[in-house]
Parts: sequence; structure tokens; C-alpha cells
Amino acid sequence: MRPIRACPIALLLAAAATVGAQAPHAMAATAADTASGEWPMPARDYAGTRFSPLTQITAANATALHPVWTFSTGVLAGHEGQPLVVGDTMYVVTPWPNVLYAFDLTKEGYPLRWKYRPNVSANAIGVSCCDTVNRGAVYADGKIIYNLLDGHTVAVDAKTGHELWNTQIADVAVGETVTMAPLVAKDRVIVGASGGEFGIYGWTKGLDLKTGGIVWTGHNIGPDAGMLAKPADFKPPYDSGTDLGAHTWPGEAWRTGGAPVWGWVSYDPDLDLVYYGTGNAGPYNAEQREGDNKWTASVLARHPADGTLVWAYQFTPHDSWDFDATGAMVLADLTVAGKPVKALVHFDKNGFAYTLDRATGKLLLAEPFVKVNWATSIDMKTGRPVTDPAKQTGASKGTVKDICPCLEGGVSPASPPAYSPRTHLFYTSTNNLCMDYGIARTTYLKGTPFMGINSPYSVGPGGYRGTFMAWDAATGKKVWENKEDFPNWSGALVTAGDVAFYGTLDGWFKSVDARTGKVLSKFKVGSGVVGNPMTYRGPDGKQYVAVYAGIGGDWLLLAGDVHSADPTDVRAPADYIKDLGRHTSQGGMIWIFAL
Amino acid sequence: MKLTSGAFNPVPLALLVLGLCACTQRGATPAATAASAAPPAVAYEAHVAAGGNLPPGATLHNPHEGDAAVAKNGALLFTTMNCDGCHGPDAAGAVGPNLGDGRWRYGGADAEVFMSIYYGRPKGMPAFGGALNAEGVWTLVTYLRSLPLPQNLPTQSWEKP
Repeated sequence: MRPIRACPIALLLAAAATVGAQAPHAMAATAADTASGEWPMPARDYAGTRFSPLTQITAANATALHPVWTFSTGVLAGHEGQPLVVGDTMYVVTPWPNVLYAFDLTKEGYPLRWKYRPNVSANAIGVSCCDTVNRGAVYADGKIIYNLLDGHTVAVDAKTGHELWNTQIADVAVGETVTMAPLVAKDRVIVGASGGEFGIYGWTKGLDLKTGGIVWTGHNIGPDAGMLAKPADFKPPYDSGTDLGAHTWPGEAWRTGGAPVWGWVSYDPDLDLVYYGTGNAGPYNAEQREGDNKWTASVLARHPADGTLVWAYQFTPHDSWDFDATGAMVLADLTVAGKPVKALVHFDKNGFAYTLDRATGKLLLAEPFVKVNWATSIDMKTGRPVTDPAKQTGASKGTVKDICPCLEGGVSPASPPAYSPRTHLFYTSTNNLCMDYGIARTTYLKGTPFMGINSPYSVGPGGYRGTFMAWDAATGKKVWENKEDFPNWSGALVTAGDVAFYGTLDGWFKSVDARTGKVLSKFKVGSGVVGNPMTYRGPDGKQYVAVYAGIGGDWLLLAGDVHSADPTDVRAPADYIKDLGRHTSQGGMIWIFAL
Repeated sequence: MKLTSGAFNPVPLALLVLGLCACTQRGATPAATAASAAPPAVAYEAHVAAGGNLPPGATLHNPHEGDAAVAKNGALLFTTMNCDGCHGPDAAGAVGPNLGDGRWRYGGADAEVFMSIYYGRPKGMPAFGGALNAEGVWTLVTYLRSLPLPQNLPTQSWEKP
């Protein structure tokens, strides 16, 4: 059916945020019907589930999926993130130069309604650690809101494409860029900056939805005042005391300590908490920053209105492996050990999958989801990893051999999982990679990388380089996995038709049975997939699935002939991934599939 | 290379670096050291010249051309100045391009590489002329030009012959 456009957008959003809730009255019921077919925010809902209630595509008929439309974005960099669909328009943000396309889904060939081309500084390219990616936009209050690589957040009128506000939130000169997907909680736009490789003083900001004005800035490291941590409100479950974000560093090393925010934000309206993960500690050489280095590699919970910090939990204290915790924090109501809990589930770069109580940050369980050897387990009493001292890195230790997982992570934080309330399973890509880690002392030089690392990777046990798998976060167990030849870098999608979707680095887009992992359909798209599939109901009432092709997002993926757009840059492929260039090259495309 | 050489001789580097104290976390107050060799005011690259005539300008000469000892210092400076953070260990390419493949976006002559480092380039290369004096930049140039060039093999084949 055609979407009803007369309903206030706020109702659509509210309905989208509470999928499955009973509609209180007739108007809301109509809105809910429309909303069920939309994808208005990065992970579709506040909880970050990437679950769609659409049921036309099922495990029984998905074999008939085929492409019905493609569009070249004209951009070569890694196409992370996902399109939005609101009403009868699809919105697509490209990597730098961050073009915003609005496609009219009511017309044959989906012609553009408009295109918005901001003037994004090319200087930002040089302070992007890994590629000039963008992880997508959010829709709220009639606006499409997203971040520009050069440190601006913009709001564009969803109907006309006209810029409504444009706020500078970050400073390229100190190594800050912005790649993350913002979220709107109440009337705040939650944003953060990348720059963990440039020694930034990491932060999160809350912008006013109407004006774009910066209402609050909460740092992720440093003294309590800067972190918006007040003794009455801030209750970290495993720590006590004040200024933990400063005292867990030598001197004022927190000032260049990193803790970037480059992934995803989720929101629990009942607890009124936004959740996000912080990235690695800087510099990579951990011997230059003795201590836990709070709150790098952590999850933080804040009230969106004023940024008040409520709790924080550190996954990797004294991060010595570049284990960013910027992967998605997915909110799900689970039954753990017989008890119903409001859980937060997170697949960390460090190889452990965590299930936390999202009201308090207390650990419910933490189990490895890939091969892990830097720690043997997570101590449930202290919340701390039980580490292997032989895997501790530092400039004085030379090259430490065979650390699993590698610094790309058990899963890349750029590849968010999905959760189905029907199967009660989480779906995620993984990497089966280990590394040697050699690190040098490094000196902070504003606007340049604060790294000094040499870390060759190797393939983990079994010889395959990645998987797509289903995980039971209530028990901490893998339910099924599909081995993939290459590291797997796409996000996940799961639907009420019990079909899960993902893409591979060698350019296959696959649908699988959400209960068994059986591949139902596959199609070779134009380039390796590092984006996140999404689904929507078109104006014609049919269910569609969209995904970006366009390899990138990490320089290692561009080694060898994968990166062929620059004739003056030729390099050997990485040893563990020598054959990738045989299967893919760069190039951004939007693909839409249907039955 | 750099990984096993945790200690380096700080004396020559200190002479090359402006406003950077290797013993602190943050950049210190810029030193008043004057550049020992001033660069030209205008950069000329190996462009196609309109009318066939190259624009006139000062010619830069690398005072250390081919000097292996300077190149070795340059390798150290390459990591000290965080060049490896973008261009990778051994300058073999990471998020920034490979500087050891014999192919150059902005020209590979010593003077052209000097200009790229000193003034920076569009699309991301920072200007290091405020952090390194001209002697320091020439040291880096000498290192980069000393990298052994790979055989130029523009074809990569996966077929067995």
C-alpha cells in the first residue's frame, strides 16, 4: 500500500522506535503501518537492532531475490553505512565529499528529487586514519542530519534538500574528523569525532535539533568536569572515586589520549540513556600511558538532554592492541540465567561478546566469539579481562608475536550486528585474523598520526578469513556460522521473514535463513561490501532490500590492485589477503533487490 | 627497522625539528631557529607548460643527494615525524600513497618531493615546513629517494602461465 503522508513524522518515528508495540489509537495504527516499512535511522530503531518487521521476503521465497535497480554514487572510497527510507524517498550519503542524494521511489528508475553537495574541505582526507568513509544519516523532525568528514554536522530539509543548519563540531587541525552516524534522542543530535590515531581529546556532543547549536560537550577521558560526570549521577559498576578519566593516565596524557567516537549510538527512551562506545587509547605504545586509561575502549551511558554521564564500563583497560570499542551497542530484552533483563549486547574488537545490564553497566556474561589469546576470560566479579602478560605490547617489548584477534577486530566496529526478537539471535560478521604487534615510541605532533605501529596480520586457525554467524547473547554461544574466504566486513540485517542479509569483501551479497544460515540467494555486486543492508516497503507495497557496494574503510582492504584509481600509487597486496584484488576493485554503487 | 631501534641518536634530529620536544606529550613552544636554507617562494611542478615554456623560478638542489648516511637519518626522521602513520612502515603505503614505488603524484625529483613535504599538498598531505627546517626536509627527501625501486611491473596476473 502507499504510505500515508498526512501523519506527523514524529508519530512515525515513535512507532519505528517501538516496533511491535500496541497502537493506542487509530491514527497511530496507520502511522505504525507506514513506519513498519521505513528505515529512518542508522540501525532502523533506537535499540540498534537492524531488525525489520517486514515479512514479504521469507526463507521460503528469498531464492528469487534479484537486483532491480543500481546507481553509481560517483565516489570510490569505502561505502560504509546504509541508506534511509522515509515516506517514498530514499536518502544516501556518500563518503567524502559527502554528497546527499534523495531518490524518488514513486517513479520508474527512481530519479533524484534533489542532490545536496556541501563544500567539504579536502584537508580532512589527510587526517582520516583509514579512509574517507561516512556511516550514514538520521531522519528526525523533517530533517536529514549527517556528519561531514571535515568536522561539521548538517541538517537538510528532507523535502527540499535545502540546508537548514550547519554546525562546526570538530577541528581538522587537531586531527579530528567525523565519520560516525548521528542519532537523535529527544531533541538532541548525538555526535562524536574520529581521531584515535591523532591523539585527540575524545568527546561526544549534544546538538539542538532545531538550531544545530552545541548544547553540551562531554569528553570521554580526562577530569570529571570535562566528562560531565557528577558524583550523584555517575555510578560506574566496577570503579569508584573521582576523576577516573584523569587519574588512570600519567600526568596529563589524557589530553592526547584518543577515545574517539566513530561508530554508532543507541537509545533507551525508558531509561532515557544514550549508549556509545569509545575507541582506542593514544598513542598505540601503551608504555607512554601507564594505567587503565579510562574511558577509552569503553561503553558510556549518558542522558541525552544535558550529557550527564550515568555509567561507564571499560572493555579493554590499558588498551595495548588498538581494540576500539566503537562497535554498536544493541539493546535487547533477554532472559539471562532465567531472569528477564534489559540487556546491552556488544561484539568488541577484542574478540569478546558482552551482554551487560543496560541500566547499570553490570556484566551479565562475556564470551569469546572468535579466537582470543590476549586474555583468557573476563572476570565477572571485577569486570576486568584476565590477560596473558606475554601478549602485552609496548615499545620495549619489540614485536610481540601471534596476538588474536588482530587490531581489525574480531569484528570491525564498522560492521554492526542485527538482532531478531523472533529468533532471539544476534547476527554478525567476524574476522578470523591474528597479528604480530611492533610498536615504537611516538611524539605528539598536532595534525599528524600518533601511532608508530607495524602489525602484520596472519590468518587465524582453520584457514578461512571471516564468517557470518548467529550468536545467542543470553548464553554466550555461537548457534551457526558461515565461513567466508575473506574477512567479513559488512553489517547485518534480519527481518521478520526470518531472513538475514550480509555482503562479502569479494563482492557477494547474500540472503540466508536466519535460523540455520543456509544461503538462499547470492549475487555478485560491483565491488566488495563494507556497508550495511537495509530493507523497506516501497510505495508499490513491495518489500525491497538495499545495500552499498564499494570496498574500503581500511587501508589494508585497498592494498594491491584493489586500489587502482591512482596510477602513482602501486603497492603489493598484504600477505594474508593476496588474492582480494582478483575479485574486486573500488567503486561505490547502491543496489536494490526484490523478489 | 624502526621497531627494533627503540633508541635513536637525538642530536641530529633536534637540529632538524622546529618546535617539537621529543620528551613531552605535546608540542612545545615553537623554537626560533631560522631555517638554514630558505625554500623558494613559488613551487613549480613538472606540469605541461602552456606555450611550451616552463615558468622561471628558483632551482632547488638537494645538498645531500645520494648521501647514504643522511638517508639513514631520514629513515629515523620518517618515523619521528609520524610520516609512517599515513605512508606506512618503510613508506610502502597505508592510507597515504606508497612513496617507494617510483611513481609520484606531484613529481619525484628531489626538489618536487621537497615542495610536497615543506608546503604540503591538497587532499591531505600536511605542510611540515613549520615543524621541520629545510635541512630536515632534505634529510627526508634523501631517505625517500634512497628507497630501492621495485621493478616496474604494471601487470598483475592470477593465471598460471
